Amino acid sequence: MQITIPATSTVMKSLLRADLITQWRNRRSLILILLVPVIVLISWKGIVDKMGGPFALSNCITIGLVAIGLMGYSNSVARDREKAVFQRLRVAPLPSWTIMASRLIVQLAMVLLVTIAVFVGGYYFDKITISPTGYVFSFLAALIGGALYLSLGQVIVGLIRNPETVNSTSRLVYFVFIMVGMFGELGVLGKEIGTAVHWSPYGTVKTILSASMEPATWTSTTTWALLMTILYTIVLAGIGIRKFQWNAR
Amino acid sequence: MSLQPEKRTLILLRHSMMPQNAQYNSATMIDYQDQPILEVTGLNIFYGSFQAVRDVSFAVKPGEIFGLLGPNGAGKTSTLSAIEGLLKPQSGRIMVAGFDSARNPLHVRAVLGVQLQATSFQSELTVLEILQLYAGIYGVPMSKERISGIMKDISLEGAESRRFGQLSGGQQQRVSLVIAIIHEPRLVLLDEPTTGLDPQSRRKLWERMEAMREKGHGLLLTTHSMEEAESVCDRIGIVDHGRIIAIDTPQALIEKHRDDPEVISASRRGKITLEDVFIGLTGRSIRS
Ligand SMILES: Nc1ncnc2c1ncn2[C@@H]1O[C@H](COP(=O)(O)OP(=O)(O)OP(=O)(O)O)[C@@H](O)[C@H]1O
Ligand SMILES: [Mg+2]
Repeated sequence: MQITIPATSTVMKSLLRADLITQWRNRRSLILILLVPVIVLISWKGIVDKMGGPFALSNCITIGLVAIGLMGYSNSVARDREKAVFQRLRVAPLPSWTIMASRLIVQLAMVLLVTIAVFVGGYYFDKITISPTGYVFSFLAALIGGALYLSLGQVIVGLIRNPETVNSTSRLVYFVFIMVGMFGELGVLGKEIGTAVHWSPYGTVKTILSASMEPATWTSTTTWALLMTILYTIVLAGIGIRKFQWNAR
Repeated sequence: MSLQPEKRTLILLRHSMMPQNAQYNSATMIDYQDQPILEVTGLNIFYGSFQAVRDVSFAVKPGEIFGLLGPNGAGKTSTLSAIEGLLKPQSGRIMVAGFDSARNPLHVRAVLGVQLQATSFQSELTVLEILQLYAGIYGVPMSKERISGIMKDISLEGAESRRFGQLSGGQQQRVSLVIAIIHEPRLVLLDEPTTGLDPQSRRKLWERMEAMREKGHGLLLTTHSMEEAESVCDRIGIVDHGRIIAIDTPQALIEKHRDDPEVISASRRGKITLEDVFIGLTGRSIRS
């Protein structure tokens, strides 16, 4: 008997379209992801003068990336799992990985969008410009950093089923990341915490981002930060994917 | 149940009219129509150490509506989930249209139409966007005419641009049903399709199920409504504590058990109904 199973590319196209629309309609998460970094940037005018443009830009992009992984991605996955959205898709003739791949592609598009928003904001409000290679490298660094926070979001939905618990947990982690990250890096919390933050998933991403903006400042420490970022991503994604359950119970 | 000659012609006619995108061709349909479209053998499902489904076996033929009845927690949804490939049974064999669900899951899913017990669509998407999403996933072309035809069919004309989350429960149910059959599946699995529907929509759904039966589709549904089981199901299986304890036509079940003392004591007005048989067989206590 002949049975046609639609091509994976057609399936992906349909999934991507639906996921993009869903992301676009989720105004609250969109605003949180795009607006918060720009607001921080505007309120940091003094810091830009003292610490330099790349410091401010890289912090703000990192804040946006954390929001994408923790607030955007993990919450939407937890909610759709609860409503059996995934189960309904999985009873269709498509490989399960396409469902997640489509979601991740949309999130990576958000990473690029946040990076653009911060660059535009930086130019518009603080007249920060960087070299063309700096822009290219920053986008690459943002994608790598974005992958790290997406895998952190994946760990949360991998370990927690209840969407409310996922929501409150991701909010808490987001808050801790932003607070400890920003103030730790500024040296407000003391030297030890400063070092710990520097090598934390917040610090490593911030480090590679800010070095990417000025490729001349890339040192061996930056390379270590890059390797740490990749290591964090692999470990977290590994845990998050292995523990992930499609069903709500 | 074997098909009468009239039904046979109907099936052939129907399939020669099938569009290009149909998931099966007309020639092979003839060989299959007396074969079960679904065959479940010795199914066992565990959740951890708890056994939810115990040695369940049954078959559904093309052109048959088969109902699974059972108290809450009996294992109906679990059985359907195994057929859909959403969970892996510990043992047992599931064949759909000749495909082994363990070996050819994608083939099985291409022949299956599914309505889940839970909601199951993104509330941000509009009805139209959901239709387009699933048309794309199943490889079904969607023309403007086809879409308005579908919308009319589920009495939601003009609601294409309404968000799924803004629809009423019954309206959502109708959307989810139409998605289940968007690719003309040979086997349709409906988990409590009429729960929450008003009598009008329920009647409409029954008619639709009967129309699908006439076209030779096999239907497997779960229900808590004895009225539904009696009026649309050709055969029913009663499930209790994960086991199928009876399987037959509704009428035959009533005949067979009308003299059981438990059934008689369950009857309320002297007349034995399917519900009395159900209660007689599964007991009066409410399941935890
Ligand atoms: N994911 C799960 N983990 C653990 N136990 C489960 C899970 N899913 C179902 N069960 C248990 O398995 C049994 C069968 O559940 P199932 O959902 O198949 O019942 P059902 O017949 O569909 O009931 P209902 O009529 O209430 O829908 C129940 O005791 C239920 O608590
Ligand atoms: Mg159920």
